[in-house]
Amino acid sequence: MTAAPRYARVAIVEDDAILRENLVQLVTRAEGLEIAGAADSVATGRALLEPDLDVLLIDLALPDGNGVEVIREARERLANIKIIVVSIFGDARSVVRAIEAGADGYLLKGAGEQQAEEAIRSVLDGGAPISPAVASHILTRMRERSSSERGAELDAPLTEKETAVLTDLAKGFRYKEVARLHGISPHTVADHVKSIYRKLAVNSRSEAVFEAVQAGLIKLKD
Amino acid sequence: MLKFEPLGAPTRGAWIIAAIIVALQLALAAGLFWMNSISEAAAGRRVVEVGAAEASSSLYTELPDAAFQAVRLPRQGCCSSNNLIFRSRLTAEDAALANPAVLIESAYDNALVYVDGALAAGAGRVSGPPPNMGRRPQLLRIPSAMAHEGAVLDIAVQRAVGFGHLQPFYVGEYDELYSSFRALTFLRHDLPLFNAAIGAFVAAFCLCAAPLFGARGLMLSLSALGASWVLQHVGLYVTDPPWGAVANNGVYFLGFLGACVCLPWFFIEWTSVFSPPAPKRAPLFAFVLDPWGTVARRRLAIVSLASLAIGAGLIAWRLSFGPAIASQDINRVIGWMGLFAMAFCLVRIVSFYLRPGARDPIAASAFVFVVLAAIADISAVRFLKTYGVFLGAAVTFFPLALLLSLAVRARGVFEAATTTAEKLNVLVADREREIVRYHEEVRRNDRAAMLLDERSRIMRDMHDGIGGQLLGLILQARSRKLSDEALVNGLEQSLDDLRLVVDSLEQGEGSLTGALGAFRTRIEPRCEAAGVELDWEIDDVGATPNIGPDKTLQIYRILLEACTNALKHGAPKRIGVALKRDGDQIEIALGDDGVGFAPHGAPPGRGLTNMRTRARQIGAALAMDSTTSGTRISLTLPA
Repeated sequence: MTAAPRYARVAIVEDDAILRENLVQLVTRAEGLEIAGAADSVATGRALLEPDLDVLLIDLALPDGNGVEVIREARERLANIKIIVVSIFGDARSVVRAIEAGADGYLLKGAGEQQAEEAIRSVLDGGAPISPAVASHILTRMRERSSSERGAELDAPLTEKETAVLTDLAKGFRYKEVARLHGISPHTVADHVKSIYRKLAVNSRSEAVFEAVQAGLIKLKD
Repeated sequence: MLKFEPLGAPTRGAWIIAAIIVALQLALAAGLFWMNSISEAAAGRRVVEVGAAEASSSLYTELPDAAFQAVRLPRQGCCSSNNLIFRSRLTAEDAALANPAVLIESAYDNALVYVDGALAAGAGRVSGPPPNMGRRPQLLRIPSAMAHEGAVLDIAVQRAVGFGHLQPFYVGEYDELYSSFRALTFLRHDLPLFNAAIGAFVAAFCLCAAPLFGARGLMLSLSALGASWVLQHVGLYVTDPPWGAVANNGVYFLGFLGACVCLPWFFIEWTSVFSPPAPKRAPLFAFVLDPWGTVARRRLAIVSLASLAIGAGLIAWRLSFGPAIASQDINRVIGWMGLFAMAFCLVRIVSFYLRPGARDPIAASAFVFVVLAAIADISAVRFLKTYGVFLGAAVTFFPLALLLSLAVRARGVFEAATTTAEKLNVLVADREREIVRYHEEVRRNDRAAMLLDERSRIMRDMHDGIGGQLLGLILQARSRKLSDEALVNGLEQSLDDLRLVVDSLEQGEGSLTGALGAFRTRIEPRCEAAGVELDWEIDDVGATPNIGPDKTLQIYRILLEACTNALKHGAPKRIGVALKRDGDQIEIALGDDGVGFAPHGAPPGRGLTNMRTRARQIGAALAMDSTTSGTRISLTLPA
């Protein structure tokens, strides 16, 4: 990684005081990162979304709502922001929900300092971390959607290559191993995963629209 | 199903329709009378006094006057030959006509007119065997050059049926006789053809509708009645040529007999099917007046069809003696039978329609008329030696009135069917709702049971894992025996176990391949921290429906234990995890290249006992192989 021209500004939204302090310490100590602010709720988290923000570390279970709301708003307002979900279990369901809202990756709470820092840098560097559970969950969701009552094609279906990469990631293979299996560079694997994340978000949005139309919440003009 | 349904008092509308039917029938009868009167009122000399001679051939060569005997038309007597020559002489008036012609009122298909022994005109089949009894009156021209006062006019006719009722013929101006000729042609030829078509329609309709309407005897009898009408006309128009006089007369008489048998059959069916139950009375009264039972009506159908068969045989046998004479006898016998049957029908119909609950003026008006017309017709032919025209009127309207009446009754059939169908629909809809409700309840219960199962399983898992670990830590911390490092380790273990529980819940429903994929992220950091390389050899084993979250969690725990053991005791450089499928069996293996431990040499640790217990719980075979060059545990269980 080439040296960043300036410190990357990181905002933290976490309601548990100890964990929040831990994250703040981690960021402060890490080279090239600086704290832009820390919040403990959806409301205060929103206030942190300044235009010069580079990274948002956010917990999902917040006392006054779901972190997904902040993620969605951040993704809408700040085009280049990197959003990392901080999860205690890294369970696929909530991580995938966050990715659908616009998150770029996730970080396991209580992970070693080095691991956490690596994860943040990787995302900042354009990486897309993915766990086997998350990969598996995405595969299942994509399969469910394409066979849902809509019957129609997905707005953004996965390519064969993406599905193959995702399948191997779901088996627990890491980027390097997947790259070797498919004869591509690890970087390309990361690109595939980012593409998958984007498609997931797109499909999720169109699905939300579809469901809203079905439920009569939105009326489409003829 | 056509059956008796009590009718209320006849409505105004019913009376009006009945009146219209009667009026129409009377009007048609009046019309036919009028037509008949036109034929009678032909302008011309009505020749009633003639001489008649029988000859062996219609190809007449002059017979002497002595051969002719004086007859008076209509002639009552009959004949021993099929060829008859009537002789008359032209008057001065006849001779003075511009276009003299002869109108032969009786229906002959053939007639020859000779003037002074020379053939002047002819129509129809004039040579060969006698043709059928004929339906066409003849209007034949006499060349005016041949007409002179006192000229001998010979009319030679020929037919296979005996001459029972010869009508007078006319000599007059052709144009003036023409309207009579047309009227006669309509009465004798066109109208019967029209009636035959209606008969055919009724026969076909009833045959087709019988299965639908249910009252099969009734529909069959009506169909047979229609068929017998058709048969009479087939006999008159179609059979000769080509099959000759015997076939022609046979078919005609069979049709006549059919009408005489089927009409009572039909009326007995009608008055029985639609009758209210009647009180018992003397058998003779019951036979004539009351509804017949199902068995009696089945017998009636058999008897009717049998008597038609027998009648056909008798007719054929009688005709074999010679069609001319035999047809007279047959005609007479069937005529009497018909009169008798019609009288029977009349009594039945009147008594039927007088019964409370059965008063239907529409049907009654049609039926009474048809029976009266039949009686009048047969009587006219039988006793008055004249052509009947009443049956023609009746036959035209009878089937139509009948169909109307059937339609009214069948409406009840369809309404009942519709009501039943609606009731059934409501019933089915109710049932469906009930079934859906029931299914929903079952599903809710299933779900509740599943959730309960799942909840108690998770609680058990927590108790087994994190609960015990945390409790252990607390007890040790209370007694101050716990180092900081041990506390962190213990808490990390607890969190790891909690994460395994979460992973097992997420992955358990799909494939073990994905479940192990998730597991890698749990052990990889430890391996990395210990500087051990992880070899990941996971095959895609497809769906593993038998390995649910509970089994997955135990597999995780066994693998984690094995991994922890390897890292703690074996000091390996590499750890390999492999997943394979062999038919229905899934094999999961974890091996290391550490120093190993003797599985039976040293007393098994708590970890090993735990692994065995867990394997047993999930029905998996656990194999352990430890040598100085490494340890390998493998777990085999059904997919």
